[in-house]
Amino acid sequence: MTALLRRPPKVEPKAAYAIATSDLGVRYDLRFTKKTTVRSSIATVLGRNSVEQFWALRHVNLKVQRGESLAVIGPNGAGKSTLLQVLAGIIWPSEGAVDVVGHISGLLSLGAGFDKELSGRDNILLGGAFLGLDDAVTRELLPSIIDYAELGEFIDAPLRTYSAGMRARLGFSIATAVDPDILLLDEVLATGDANFRAKSKQRVIDIATAAKAVVLVTHDMSWVTEYCNRAMLIELGRIVMEGEPAEVVELHQQHQEEARARATEAARKAGVDPRIVQIR
Amino acid sequence: MRVIPFRAMSATSEVPAAFRNAAGERGPVRLVLDGFHDIRSRQRLVRYLVQADIHKRGADTLLGNIWWVLDPLLQMLVYVVFLTILVSNRPEDYPLFVFAAILPWKWFSASVTDATSSIVRNDQLIKQIQFPKIVLPVAATTAGIVSFAFGVIALVLLMLFYPDRYSIYLLWIPVIAAVQFVFTLAFSFLVAAGNVFFRDLNNVVGHVLRLWWFLSPGLYSIESLDKAGFLKDHPTLLTLFNLNPFAILFTAYRTVIYGTNGTPPTGPTSPDLQALVVLLLGSLVFLVFTTWVFKRLEPNFAKII
Repeated sequence: MTALLRRPPKVEPKAAYAIATSDLGVRYDLRFTKKTTVRSSIATVLGRNSVEQFWALRHVNLKVQRGESLAVIGPNGAGKSTLLQVLAGIIWPSEGAVDVVGHISGLLSLGAGFDKELSGRDNILLGGAFLGLDDAVTRELLPSIIDYAELGEFIDAPLRTYSAGMRARLGFSIATAVDPDILLLDEVLATGDANFRAKSKQRVIDIATAAKAVVLVTHDMSWVTEYCNRAMLIELGRIVMEGEPAEVVELHQQHQEEARARATEAARKAGVDPRIVQIR
Repeated sequence: MRVIPFRAMSATSEVPAAFRNAAGERGPVRLVLDGFHDIRSRQRLVRYLVQADIHKRGADTLLGNIWWVLDPLLQMLVYVVFLTILVSNRPEDYPLFVFAAILPWKWFSASVTDATSSIVRNDQLIKQIQFPKIVLPVAATTAGIVSFAFGVIALVLLMLFYPDRYSIYLLWIPVIAAVQFVFTLAFSFLVAAGNVFFRDLNNVVGHVLRLWWFLSPGLYSIESLDKAGFLKDHPTLLTLFNLNPFAILFTAYRTVIYGTNGTPPTGPTSPDLQALVVLLLGSLVFLVFTTWVFKRLEPNFAKII
């Protein structure tokens, strides 16, 4: 009840959308992304190393309405996670702009936890502090987060003793307990056992139907067609298609089959049995 | 199955609406103010991080907290044994003389070493959630205060052997420590941000710290160099020597703990306040500068680590 009293004034929907990007681009400077040393930087300054730039995302225009749940799909390395990172404010755009209306919450990959040496309980408190929650609010949410994560006795054991599924459950509970206006999820649905998966699906649907926006990255196509009302296919950092989940998924699967066929064809042309893998 | 009701997100969370633009660069003043605001608004996070750090270091070692008291004493012992063999002309009560410098130095070097890796160590978190990264070096530096406090306990124990050195001037220690903290914090921001871009900065920092320690009047005093005639011929060298923040800090700590060994040697007195004020002002300017550097580089962290 007290939590309700403390509820901040709702962000009025001045804009019809929750997220909008215009001509968004993210550039990686490969000069720094390789593990840089002082020595190699001097070599770069002296012109011995070439400088490479890499556009992980470019010309991305998207709008997510309130109450919409958008699935972002695409092959590995297409820029899906980078997109979520930009939306979460973790990465600053190199080009274009992002506009986000409302509180945003997202643990982009839920496996990591906050501090392996601390207990699950302390991790929730630390996590709340990282997410910028008021301590009183986190403490109030504590029982329900523990309950939801189904950790039982383990809540007071150090996080390093947890299984991957337990960590993911804890992360999911923290990320979704804070009533975000916009929820960003990355590959979380594949974690946990069948029961928890069903439960987390329900939670995501609840958030989406509470007129909040959900953006999720997943490889689980049945999820996309069943529970998302829009989907977006990203390949090589560009939006290839956006629209009805079923159609987008179909195109994605078609592209994947083509890619597989091309790989087999290339291997056949080179006279190599694709089942034989050379190990150097 | 009970699905928990969604609750309100607190008003202290991140700015709710955000517009991020590639061209929208913040000016230096804005960046520095943002940096200080980040630290103030995330005090709770800093406290949790410090607690976690203490918990880990305390729980992982066999002797626990006793180890923290023993550590500076053992280090002092190493230097005293070495210099007893090497140097015949030592100041009297040499263990206390050296300890007065080891106490602040261990705090500084541990904090800086910890801060250097503070960003890189938390790469997973930085890629997952948006939070002000500046809290990480702040927490690393603040956690150092605890080991400093344990060092003070060691000091009190050590001084049982030198009862005539006890004085009211020991109360200056927190004041000098506060000046040192500002300098340490400023330095930490620089190395923490730098290490993201240059991973071998870790090694560089280790060596620089070692050199810095021996160039600072920790095992010797400036007066003893003067007496040796070394600095008489090189007045510029003396000026350079005095510009070292740790020349001022070590001298200040030593003055209130040990006294001076000039001619004639005196017992503990008040520190050189003028030098401390100059150092404090200099450190504050340095802090503003490094906060700016840190905030300027911060948006790139998630991409690089």
